[in-house]
Order: sequence, then C-alpha cells, then structure tokens
Amino acid sequence: MHGRPRKAPKPEDEAAATAKAQKLRALQTQFFSFHHSKIYTKDAVELSAKLLEINPESYTAWNYRKLAVEHYLSQPDCNPDSVKSVLNDELGVVESALRQNFKSYGAWHHRKWVLSKGHSSIDHELRLLDKFQKADSRNFHAWNYRRFVSELMNRSEKDELKYTEDMIYTNFSNYSAWHNRSVLLSALLEKKAEGFLSKENVLPEEYEFIHQAIFTDPDDQSGWFYHLWLLDQTVTIDYPLLVSTWPAHGSDVFLVGDRCQIGSSSPFTTLFSDSGSFPIVLYFNQPVEGVSSSTVSIECGFNKSKDLLWEPLSVSNSQTAQVWVAHLKFPTSELDSSVEVSVGHTKEIVSRRGFQYNHPSTFSFKVHVQPVERDSSQVSVAENILWREENFNVYGEQAEESIPIVSFDRLCIKNGHESAASNWRIEALAKEIECFRELLLLMDCKIGKLTLARLLTAYDAMLFPFANKLVHSEEVLELYNDLMKLDPTHHRYYKDEYSSVLLQKMTSSKESLLQHCFRYKDSVSSAIGNTICLRLNNLSLSRTRALEKLLWVQMLDLSHNELQSIEGLEAMQLLSCLNLGNNKLRSLTALEPLRKLKSLRVLDISYNQIGDHSIDTTRYLCCSPLSHSVGRELNKDETVINDVTLNYWEAFYVFRDLNLYQLDIVGNTIADEKFKPVLVKIMPTLKRLDGELLD
Amino acid sequence: MESLTSPTVTQRDQLLVEQQVFSLFKTFYNMPPSSQSFMLELQRENHVEYLTNGLKQLGPSFCVLDANRPWICYWILHSIALMDEFVDPELEDNTIDFLSRCEDPNGGYGGGPGQMPHLATTYAAVNSLVTLGGDKALSSVNREKLYSFMQQMKDASGGFRMHDGGEIDVRACYTAISVASLLNILDDKLVQNVGNYILSCQTYEGGISGEPGSEAHGGYTFCGLATMILINEVDRLDLSSLIDWVVFRQGVEGGFQGRTNKLVDGCYSFWQGGIFALIKRLNSTKGERSIPLGDGEDSDPESPRTTASSDATEEGLNKDLSQDDSHSQKDHHDTSSRVNVADIGHNSSKGHAKVNPLFNSLALQQYILLCSQDLNGGLRDKPGKSRDHYHTCYCLSGLSVCQRSWLEDEDAPPLPHAVLGPYSNLLEPIHPLYNVVLDRYQEAHEFYTSS
Repeated sequence: MHGRPRKAPKPEDEAAATAKAQKLRALQTQFFSFHHSKIYTKDAVELSAKLLEINPESYTAWNYRKLAVEHYLSQPDCNPDSVKSVLNDELGVVESALRQNFKSYGAWHHRKWVLSKGHSSIDHELRLLDKFQKADSRNFHAWNYRRFVSELMNRSEKDELKYTEDMIYTNFSNYSAWHNRSVLLSALLEKKAEGFLSKENVLPEEYEFIHQAIFTDPDDQSGWFYHLWLLDQTVTIDYPLLVSTWPAHGSDVFLVGDRCQIGSSSPFTTLFSDSGSFPIVLYFNQPVEGVSSSTVSIECGFNKSKDLLWEPLSVSNSQTAQVWVAHLKFPTSELDSSVEVSVGHTKEIVSRRGFQYNHPSTFSFKVHVQPVERDSSQVSVAENILWREENFNVYGEQAEESIPIVSFDRLCIKNGHESAASNWRIEALAKEIECFRELLLLMDCKIGKLTLARLLTAYDAMLFPFANKLVHSEEVLELYNDLMKLDPTHHRYYKDEYSSVLLQKMTSSKESLLQHCFRYKDSVSSAIGNTICLRLNNLSLSRTRALEKLLWVQMLDLSHNELQSIEGLEAMQLLSCLNLGNNKLRSLTALEPLRKLKSLRVLDISYNQIGDHSIDTTRYLCCSPLSHSVGRELNKDETVINDVTLNYWEAFYVFRDLNLYQLDIVGNTIADEKFKPVLVKIMPTLKRLDGELLD
Repeated sequence: MESLTSPTVTQRDQLLVEQQVFSLFKTFYNMPPSSQSFMLELQRENHVEYLTNGLKQLGPSFCVLDANRPWICYWILHSIALMDEFVDPELEDNTIDFLSRCEDPNGGYGGGPGQMPHLATTYAAVNSLVTLGGDKALSSVNREKLYSFMQQMKDASGGFRMHDGGEIDVRACYTAISVASLLNILDDKLVQNVGNYILSCQTYEGGISGEPGSEAHGGYTFCGLATMILINEVDRLDLSSLIDWVVFRQGVEGGFQGRTNKLVDGCYSFWQGGIFALIKRLNSTKGERSIPLGDGEDSDPESPRTTASSDATEEGLNKDLSQDDSHSQKDHHDTSSRVNVADIGHNSSKGHAKVNPLFNSLALQQYILLCSQDLNGGLRDKPGKSRDHYHTCYCLSGLSVCQRSWLEDEDAPPLPHAVLGPYSNLLEPIHPLYNVVLDRYQEAHEFYTSS
C-alpha cells in the first residue's frame, strides 16, 4: 500500500505481469479451499508460502500458517527437532515476504508470534533487523520490532543505546534513532540501572552528544527535538510543589463586612467581602488532582465544619488544576483568630503524570474581623469606577504608605529543599547557555536564539530562590524582540513568551512591583474595599501568565494591551475590579475564566473585538473543548427567556454567574442596542452599563 | 559525525525534493496567468475517468493489493463522491454485490471474498457503502454480526486487534470505533479502556504513535484523535502539545510530512490536515452549539446516557454537522448566493464567519494541485512518483478540508479566495471524523439511527 517503492510498468513486462496475476489467482483459489477445509498438509502449507511471497499483505494466509503450526504442534509425533524446523520455516517465509514488502503489518506480526513461541536467537533477529534498518532507517515497523525483540530477549538497554548512537553517527538526521534513545534513557532512569541512577549522571553527557549534531548542522530538525526533550528532562520538577498561597504565611488578614475604612492595615491583605466568607487559594507548580478536606486540613477556632469544599480552578471542569480554592466563613464570635493550613500530609495530591505531592507544608495567618456600620443608602447606588489616569496616585507617595506593610518575600513560597538536588541542573543549564552563546556568535540562527531564551528563562527561575532576581530577563526580552522581527510567522508565539517573561520580571522584586501599584482616588464610599490598584496597562502584553505573586490583587488594570486570552486569571480570586478595555479579545467565551471570579463587581471590556469573529482562536488551546457540561447546565434554566439563550447563549454562559455592578462593553461589535437589554436580563445585579445608571 | 560539507542521506533527500518542488513553483510563477489558471485547475474529468476505470478493471500490478480490495473501492468511490460525481447504476450494483461477498458469515468484512474479516477492510467496506448510499447499500451491512465481530476483536487491554490473532494498534482502534459509531452500534463495552490505550501512545513530541513506545506519526495521530473524540474522551489527551506537533509537520513545500524530519507526502494532506478540521470542530462545538429546545431526550437531566459515545455524537460534532433544520440550510443558501453574486469578498455575513486555520491552507492547496496532481488523472505522493488510488483519495480529502479551513459552518460554501484556483475546484465537504462526504454521512446517520 502506502510508501511502497513503485516501478512504472514497462510494456514488455506487461505480459509477464499478466501471467503473474493469473498464477496468483490460481494460487489463491487453491489456498482458500485448503483454508476453508482446514487442510494442513505439507503441500498446502507450502502453497500458502508461495502466496505470501507474492502478496505479503495476505493476512488470511498468515493466520492459516499459525493454525497450521498449532495443528502440527498438537500432533503426537512431533519432537523438539521437528518443531524447530517448522518454526524455522516460518521465519524463512517472513523474511522472503519482508523482502517483497518491508512495511507489511502481517509479516512483522507473524514474526513476533513465532518469537513468542520461544524460537530464534537474538543475534539472528538483530542481524535481520540490521539489514532492514540499513535499507530504511526510518521504518517504524522495524523499530517497533526492535523494541519488541529487545524486551522479549532481555537485551540490555545499554547495548540498544549504543545501537542508537551508531545509527546517529551514520545519519544524525535520523529522528527515529533519537526517539528510541529518549525511550531507552527514560526506561534506564526509571529503573535506576547501573550508571543511570539519576538524571545527574546521564543528561550532561547527552548534552555533549547532541551538541555534535546541532553544531554540525543547526538547520537539521532532529537534533533540536531531542534537545527539547533533554531540556524538559533537566528543567521539569516531576513532583508537585506549592508555589504560593493566599493568604500568605504569616500575614494578617483584615476582613471587612461591607464597605470599609481601611485605615492603616495592609492593602495586600485587607479583603472586602459581601458574601460573609473569604477564599483560601493554593497555587501549585503544575496541575494536580486530589486536593480535598482529607489532604488539606485547616485548624482554626471558628471553622466548625471540617469538610471544606475545595474547588479546582480550571475552565475545563476537569478535576485537575494548578490552582485550588476553598471558602472559609468569617468568624462570628471572636474578632481575632489564627488559622493554620496543612497541605499534603496524606499522599493523595497527585500530578497529571502521577507524581505525588511529598513535601507536606503548613502555613498560618491571622484573621481580624473589622466590624463596620452598614450604610444602606450607599449599597443601592454603586459608585462609578472610572479608570482615568487622574484617578490614580502612585502608591507610596503618601507618607504613611512609605512603609510597606506586607512582606513581599512572603508572596511566594521558596522551596528551599529543592536547591540541594538542583546543583547539577544549574550547572547543566549554565553550560548550555555558554554553548549556545557560542553558536550564535558563529551564525544567526532562529532556533538557536529561541533555545537560548528558553535556557536563560529556566536558569533564572532555578536560581531565583538564591539570587532573588531574574538576572537575565533583559537579555531574554531582547532575544524575543529579535525573534519577532526575524521570524514574523511565529510572532504570536514569541509575543506570548515575551509577555510571560515581562510579567515575571515585574513581579520579581518588591521595587518593580510597587512601581505598578497605584492608589485609586481618595474614595471612602468605593464599591471596592481595597483601593490599591495594580496597573499593568500599556505593556503590549498578549498573555496573562506568572500570576502566582498577584493573588492579593483586588483591582487590576490590564487595559491597552494585546490580550487575546485571559487564561490563568481565574487564579486571582480576590479580584473585584478588572479593566480589560482596549485589548484584542475576540469573543465572549474568551472571558470564561471570569466565571470563576465570584468577587468580581466592576468589569471593563470596552473596545475589544468581541463579535467581530464568532470564534475566538485562542480557544484552540483550551483543555477541554468537548465537555458537554455547558449544554446540560443550560437546560436546567428552561425558565430563562428563550431568545436570550438562543441568540446570546455565550453571553448567558459567561455572565449569568457573575454579580457585576458595573460593566463597560462599548466599542465591541456585539454591543449593539439589542444586546444591552439582554445583559440587563442576564445580570439583575447590574447597576451601571457603559457609564449609564440603570433603573 | 559527518562534517558540514557532506549532508546526511536524510538531508540530501530533503534537498532533492525541495529543489524539485521549488523549480515546479518557479516555472509556475513565470507562466502567463492563463497557463497558471490551467495548472491550478483540478482536472475533474481526467480524475473521474482514472478512478472509474480502476473500479472496473485493475491491471496485474495490483496483485499486492489483493488483501485490500474494499480499500480500493473506498479510495475510488470516496474520491468520485468528493467531486460530486456518481458511478453508473450497474457498477454501483456490482460494487455492493462484491462487498457483500467480502462480508464474513460471522460478521465483518475481509480483504476479498473468502478472506478473514479484518477491521481495516471493514472500515473501508462500510465507508464505501455509506458513500454509495441508498437503501440497498446501507441495509446490506449485517450490524448484529458486525457487532459481535468487534467484540471478538476487543482486547482485554482496551485496544482492538486488526483481525483474529492480529496486531493491536491505534489504527485498529480507530477503524473499530469509527465503524461502530457510523453504524450506531457503539456502546460502553466497545469503548471501555480504548481511551487508555490511545493515551499510552501519545509521545512527548505531542503526536500519537501506532503503538506504545513508537514515534509520533500523522496517520496514527489522526486515528487517535478521531477515536478520542468519538468516545468523548478527547480532553484526556494533551491537546496543546498535539497541536504544537502537528503545526510543525507542514513543510516549506506547503505539504505535510508524516513524522519529524521525513519527506513531504500528499496523503498527509488529509492525515495531518484532517487533524485541523477535527480541532476546529472541537472548539466550535463548544462555541456555536445550538441549545436543544424541548428535545424529549434531554427532558430528564438525571437520565443516564446510554453510552459515552452518544454524548459525543449526539451532542457534539454530529449534531452540528447533521443539522437537518431546513430553515438554517435555506438561510445559508440565501446568504451564499448573495455573497457569490453580488458581494464577492465581503465576509461579514454570518454563514461566512472567518476562522483562521492553524496551518497554511493555501500553501497546502498549492502543493496538492501543482505537485501532487497528475494532469492526466489521479494524484500522487510527490513529483516524480506515480499516481495511485490511495494518494488520489487522501490528496482530494485533504483538498476538501483546506477549502473549508476558514469556515466556521461546514454547511456554507467557502468564499472564492479560500479556494485556490478556479472556484470549480471546490470539492464536497467531508465529515472529518469518518472521512466520508458529509451528505452521504447524513443519509447514513439517519438510516442507522432510525432502523
């Protein structure tokens, strides 16, 4: 069938071919009559061999031969020698079939069957494989068979590793060989074979090896794929770790019932809530499952119910998420109390790849309830939040703010126990960085630049706990800037990476973070409890990543960026005011992360492209596009106005769980006169739409 | 290792192909526009002639395909259907009779009369019959027997065997699940643990391999992804790394390679290109799903779903595709005629909503038309290779996918600039999960759900 070498028929051959076809037809008729009447005589079996030699795809004939062998083995007069010769015949038939078509599924499968009878020798099989793999070094049947034989005959993985090396020396573009190398190394590392006890022993040498290929020809893709695998092996920390939490360890949380006077308490830890509860957020280094009241215990004086409900913050409704949240009720009796949260003392928190969370940790914080007098007249008329420049003052300008109250260092957990084991990783990365800097001196190479940028980012992240800053972020940003110019086709990807590094840089130190902190005008009657606004506007961000240090943010300005997606924003559980105006959001479903933000009251999505395109292309990367929960949920709300669900079901889906007071949606194609009444219907809590007070 | 001056075999081969393809493109760009438009034209008549002849009589060189005869039927019939042509009634009858003779008394179809039933040839036979359409073809399948054949092929591990005593791989899973879904005989027993098997084949590159441990491959990635969608477990795959992998399989020639660092091949226009069609529908499934109103089936939210698959097929892809609401179709029709006649180039009307494909659709169409097309009929792997039915089928299927890669709604015709060459190149839309022409799918779907 596919990929078989074909020869154009020459007219003089045609007569011969016709004769051959006639011969095949006769053979076939004969064969089927033997097969259907279960005749396994010597002649009959030989005839099937002839058929297979002409047409190795004839799987019925392969099965017939299996039956014939079984039939022979069940005879009373069969002895070890004759069994051997029968099985040898089978191997011979397979070999001649493979000479005719080395991509025949049936032939390779038949050989596996013969071998599983305990026949043939490893040397014999390897010699045969050698022949086929020389003829076509990418034949995946042969590589599959090779893995099968090695396993069946307990050939050492080290010998196989050597074989991939030889194949690579013959042709370093042979990706099948590189691939098998990664499979073998993973197996050796997993069983901690001698000389392969840890990645530390293995990976540095592999880097050396791959350099030869990459430096020989940086344009060949095989080496780069293998390098990517190596880098992943070096950087990835298999087991899950807790990266940050809200509230942070050792912090004081001031809970305020309704609107409040903040006074001297820390803006980073004062929380306004109108639901009588506050969230506890756990942010891991990778998606995990199994966070529950049995894996996370909470000790506090006021929480009577032991079974706190932990919710995964993922838009896909899967039970695996990087960020988890639970809601704790305000203490009612005492005004000050402390809370201790212990994570992972039982083993059920597991990463997607099955690694257990094995660093039990505890964090604690104090909760202070500030009683306030309820002013009912102000509740009904929400204040209009205006994101104008003049409404913001640089945070820290006023004298009493000059002493930052929150300990910045506590925003992120330092997993110090990681460091000792990581020295080799840091060394390996440092060496790679040096190496690729050299390569880039020799030539201008896109993939080389990208690799260097990835290496530097990984290196900085690894060193961060010690250095406390991202040493190379400027260089990385420069590299991505270059790449955007050099390789415009992949501009979006580079832009996303750029955004991610930029955000990391801005949140990496207290100084840089405070530069983006502003105080929203001197307002006492604000709908928001906390008037510190983090302003990340005008930065041409295309992605929202690296949010782990921003869990405290309640007012966020992301306007005038290039966001097409706000994936990840669901982690910011405290958000009450959010400005996404003047971005490139293309559809309402791009706002799906907002559904998880129960405290959100003020939202600005004006001047985006919602409605221009009916599908948001950012959703190509969503994790669970086929979860049908959406439709099912909607059915339950049969009472809701049908035209709303029919024509604006996206709006209905995104907004119906939000309790917005204020929404700005002007400047989007979708926001026409028909749409506004729909929004009002969906969100009865809405007080202000595009600046206009609603009745 | 070798020095810079001597390229590896792989690189030399790649270079040769590039030279050949680029010189073809160069010749093309230096042509006067009239010759250019001829070069880009799909030679429908020649293709149909080549295909129809194949169905009637094949030369002796086809001996090696003797165990794949239903495949030949499928490749030819599907290609003809893509061009909206039909085979004459006598040939149609003969084909149905022939396929019936390939059907095993105990269920399933073999590679030819008297051969053992085999899942791949069963897939080919069923798709052929669906493509032929009509009661005679559709009712000729013995579904009860076929179901029991599939149960026998089901391995304890969750995967399927190709045939009794045969190999287990992703191809077997796809052909089994696809056929079962198409014939409406898919149930929990068949679905059980198939997802685990497919998952064990997704490699670190992101694509899916034929069996665990092997490298990612275009054909298997299509099969694996389609299977996961059909059994409604697609969210278990690492989709973003899968997309990452597949976007990088499109090469400088415009066509797709099947594996990392392999040569371009026209047939991957469908195997890789079809992956994009599936991914596009995945997203639109959530995005544009119509709300079932007063649908009796949904009145009781607690009622258990009969099978996992009915979730996927009834609520997901199929629902969108098989919408038989005459109103909506009429609307699309109106919109389309308006756009075509009076307002070419205007794309804001709803039926024509634009979705950007994740691959370079025009480059792929250019590769298919200029490099894979044999102007005397038939399509091929790459320049220098000869045409065959397999490549004709998958190049054309890929072309159909390309032409609709900007469309959100498969029922609406694409805009002229989405179709490379004359608009008459436009092929019939396919159902990307099964790779049968969409209206033939709809007929079959209705037939098998009502009977």
